[in-house]
Amino acid sequence: MILEVKKLQTGYGKLQVLRGVDLCVGKESVGLFGPNGAGKTTLINAIMGIVKPWSGAIEFEGKSIAGQATHLVARSGIALVPQERELFPGLSVADNLELGAVYVPRGKAIKAQQLEIVLELFPILKERIKQYVGTLSGGQQRMVAIARALMANPALLILDEPSLGLQPSIVAEVFDRLSILKKDIAILVTEQNVRESLKAIDRGYVMENGAIVIEDTAKGLATNPHVLSAYLGI
Amino acid sequence: MANKRNAAIFAALIVAAVAGILVWRPTVIIYGLQAAGLYASIAIPMGLILGIVHIVNLAHGEFMMVAAYLTYMVCTALGIDPFVAMIPVALVTALVGFIVYKLTIRQALKAPELNQLILTFGLAISLTQLANLLFTSQTRKMSFGYVSASLSIGELSFGVYNFVFVAIAVLMVIGLRLFLTRTTAGKAALAVGQNPKGAAIVGIDVDKTYGLVFALATGMVGMMGAIFITRSSIFPAVGSPFTMKSFCLIAMAGIGNIPGILGASVLLGISENFLKAFRETRGWADIVFFVLIITVILGRSIKGKKA
Repeated sequence: MILEVKKLQTGYGKLQVLRGVDLCVGKESVGLFGPNGAGKTTLINAIMGIVKPWSGAIEFEGKSIAGQATHLVARSGIALVPQERELFPGLSVADNLELGAVYVPRGKAIKAQQLEIVLELFPILKERIKQYVGTLSGGQQRMVAIARALMANPALLILDEPSLGLQPSIVAEVFDRLSILKKDIAILVTEQNVRESLKAIDRGYVMENGAIVIEDTAKGLATNPHVLSAYLGI
Repeated sequence: MANKRNAAIFAALIVAAVAGILVWRPTVIIYGLQAAGLYASIAIPMGLILGIVHIVNLAHGEFMMVAAYLTYMVCTALGIDPFVAMIPVALVTALVGFIVYKLTIRQALKAPELNQLILTFGLAISLTQLANLLFTSQTRKMSFGYVSASLSIGELSFGVYNFVFVAIAVLMVIGLRLFLTRTTAGKAALAVGQNPKGAAIVGIDVDKTYGLVFALATGMVGMMGAIFITRSSIFPAVGSPFTMKSFCLIAMAGIGNIPGILGASVLLGISENFLKAFRETRGWADIVFFVLIITVILGRSIKGKKA
């Protein structure tokens, strides 16, 4: 297993959000679905060390990372593409990508090679390489965020709502790129856009009120009556 | 279009005014530039802290004062020149800055801005009173022959030593620019300044970066303290006007705009020296910066309303 989350409980202040979450990701791509407020982002924040766990375990490649500082989690090989992108708007695309690699040992070693790969994956960024990221469109910024995460050569890539705020044609493009990636990297992706993401994942979890309620293969989820009615409106 | 034309007219007016003063009272420009160099080289480190750590360090001038006393002790004890003492003094001040960051500033980073202001204001008072206890309020001065170096051009004669501050200010701007845009550590510092959360998720140690930037800035102002004592006498409250003027210059330049601090300093230096050139207005020179900061803040809010 690359990532294993066991009986995780956490929240903000006195407000409990996660009520014992169990989830694992192997060398595969895993979807995490659920309505707003189900706790998807909180789970990701807990994995990344942005929110401290109250109890339970988080293991990455066999080692406990629960409660570790965010920068150490990142250096150990988990790259995050946050919902809000969290880029450096006053730095160029090139600098944003470079910073994605240089602090993570496994990314730094093959920096030049990774740059070639991500620019091949997102050719538009090659044209904009010297431009300040703050001047790019939302869709292009999303690509920079994904490319920056890939620069770290992560063992696990976590994407939080990668299609949020994007026009449908770009959403399709992003998922297209994800399908290419999933051959090499373990992926954990949260999405509201269940229809598109079911095409790109192997397995998925449905989360409601801070707990996992369904766990199944992509095929299984696509035919699950609860998923069909609640998320696909069928 | 209209904006560009207005800016061009504004720039032309400034050039004309400067040229006019240069012909009429050349010393206003010369001493104005020298003062600008001093103001800028003290304000730039404060701008660095505000731009990256997002803290208004109201103890900034006091760090300079502490460094000046340190230089005074080292130089009188060992009989060395402040320009020799400058490097070790800068290193010690940087270390003090780092410790102050770890013990105090760091704890207040997530607190409301008012708490941070009160904290650094408290630091300023503590440092001033510490100096008062250790050295009393008596002024101290060191004299060096090279400070009175002067240059004569035709009938015009003026001191040239203070141009050293102009050189330092320009070097600081160039040095910081190279550091922030050409080195990985510098880019990481900019990244932390622009988005600390984003910086952490790519593996940058945000807390360490804040600490190092704070230490770098206090080291720079420590170096200024060492040089400051070559031209001015020092006393425990000597730093506080510089805190105020530095803050005013940063506000004028806009947060994060380090080269802009140079421009704002030139405006402040020349305006002050313009008033000092006349006996009747000499006493008014110190309020120039209040007028400038009020103008800038008013100008910004009017512009903001329009936008």
